[in-house]
Amino acid sequence: MTSPNTLIFMELAIQQAKLALDALEVPVGCVIVEDGKVIASGRNRTTETRNATRHAEMEAIDVLLEQWQKNGLSMTEVAKKFSNCSLYVTCEPCIMCASALATLGIKDVFYGCSNDKFGGCGSILSLHLKDTASLNKGFKCAGGIMATEAIILLRTFYDQGNPNAPKPHRPLAHQATT
Amino acid sequence: MTNNNLILHIPDEPPHDLHHQPTVSVFASSIDPKHANQIVRRLNQIAPLEDLRHVKRIQKKVLEGGQIQLSVILCLAYEGDNQLDHVPPLLQELISSYQLSPFITKVCKYAATSKEEWQEQCKFWPTSYHPRTYNIDGITGFSEEDSQSVLKFMQSAVELATSDGLVVNAAVIVDPSAKQIISTARDEVFSWNTCKDESCYRKSDLSSSHPISNSLDPQKLLHLRSSCNHLKQSYARVGCLYPWQWAEQQSHSESSYYCHPLRHAAIVSIESSAARDRHLFPNDESSKEKNLESDHESLSTSSSSKRQKTVCATVEGDDKLNAQSQTSNQIEDNDKLNTHSQTSNLLSARPYLCTGYDIYLVWEPCTMCAMALVHQRIRRIFYAFPNPKTGALGSVYRLQGEKSLNHHYAVFRVLLPEEALHKCDT
Repeated sequence: MTSPNTLIFMELAIQQAKLALDALEVPVGCVIVEDGKVIASGRNRTTETRNATRHAEMEAIDVLLEQWQKNGLSMTEVAKKFSNCSLYVTCEPCIMCASALATLGIKDVFYGCSNDKFGGCGSILSLHLKDTASLNKGFKCAGGIMATEAIILLRTFYDQGNPNAPKPHRPLAHQATT
Repeated sequence: MTNNNLILHIPDEPPHDLHHQPTVSVFASSIDPKHANQIVRRLNQIAPLEDLRHVKRIQKKVLEGGQIQLSVILCLAYEGDNQLDHVPPLLQELISSYQLSPFITKVCKYAATSKEEWQEQCKFWPTSYHPRTYNIDGITGFSEEDSQSVLKFMQSAVELATSDGLVVNAAVIVDPSAKQIISTARDEVFSWNTCKDESCYRKSDLSSSHPISNSLDPQKLLHLRSSCNHLKQSYARVGCLYPWQWAEQQSHSESSYYCHPLRHAAIVSIESSAARDRHLFPNDESSKEKNLESDHESLSTSSSSKRQKTVCATVEGDDKLNAQSQTSNQIEDNDKLNTHSQTSNLLSARPYLCTGYDIYLVWEPCTMCAMALVHQRIRRIFYAFPNPKTGALGSVYRLQGEKSLNHHYAVFRVLLPEEALHKCDT
């Protein structure tokens, strides 16, 4: 069962993804929620920064860390904060982001479409699962929330062609339609 | 021991014990060579060996007296299934019509990853062996000159890791074609000196990279060496080894001290190299949003053939892929791409992300860092010490062998004694 709140937060994540699309970035967006309130949002900035690790999740996380530092929180307090936060993201976190979210000890993650090639929450690796050997506490994870909307945005982006990809070695299917 | 023995390639697949490679049981039968063609053709229709494509269907033996004996694989034999009860009816028909007498034998379960593995496999039943069709420099070995260069860059990473009293992980991104350091970084998990001002932020980015110098800065090395006395011999601060350690950190009174749990050395070095790129090639940035076409062109002409080696045809700026888009062919023949890319013979200007670059890390990266290096298109990763609990390049996971990823780097371990971390004399 998807609660109405889940849909509201995912809608906000989609809004972030749309901002990314407008900026010619891969359209993925997210919000982080604490006690029913959105406390941070983020969207892809890989093109702008030329740093392919600047995914929506990383952007939102950095907003929080900076803010909590400003507020003088200790690291134990920061850890406690994260353990009370939920992430809503339009696409399944990749292996890098899933690993980062586990490192931070986030409470749970809700995502839209799955990420069959890079997904770290079940698709390729399962970094959300508790693993005693590495002391990974994991996090709760639920996917498929407003997946269609997320996919439509991604498809729009790839149909118009990714201007940042290097020259393709084979002709693009959509080359003639720009 | 020469230098090139110190660099080990960490392959895409965990190596099997050469003499104990995993096997599966199959039903086979000897056949009359006259019928071989018909039988194999029929078998390929009714009982294709989907998961055993590396296994040859027919085994040929030359018996004493020059007589040739052919055997053919009929189908998989499942656990405890010594009878032919579970063999599909069409296969049963084939067996009876040619009066075959099936027996159970073993074949190797996985395709050979080396010539040695292949030779062992063929002792069970013949298999085919396809050496990887692309080669990233070093997989087949290093020249003495190249290995010296590798050791030198690793040495600078180790010095960086031990340069500040506490041992942390360190990263050095290198353009191997110019033997030039692109960026360097230490873990900034526990000591991120925050600087909100963007201009200051950029400056600090650039001071940690070496866009101009062609070799190591001897002054810097000297400085590193002088600070070695304060070395503590604990690795608890190494981000990739103990990613969860940050939460244990007590608050620091000094404002300059801060903890950013995700600022592992690899992540910071990627950030620095991106900042360097923006600094050296600012024009692409400004023209990007106004003129898509020209940006596309400038990018397409700026990639040297060398740097295109491992880039797949459909690379995305970000790796969040539409789950539904199954268009890109995952088993692209890199060799083919390579040939294509030879046509672009322009000298390199701006690389696409870190395409063509190497990174030297003191410790094997965790999954976060290893995936970040996939995203940033690093060509080769060298690390000195394994990361047994969270390592993603051979210890726990093996991202270099994850077929679904859109970029694959080659991974090497540089064998250093652990004492390298405790003494900085070079």
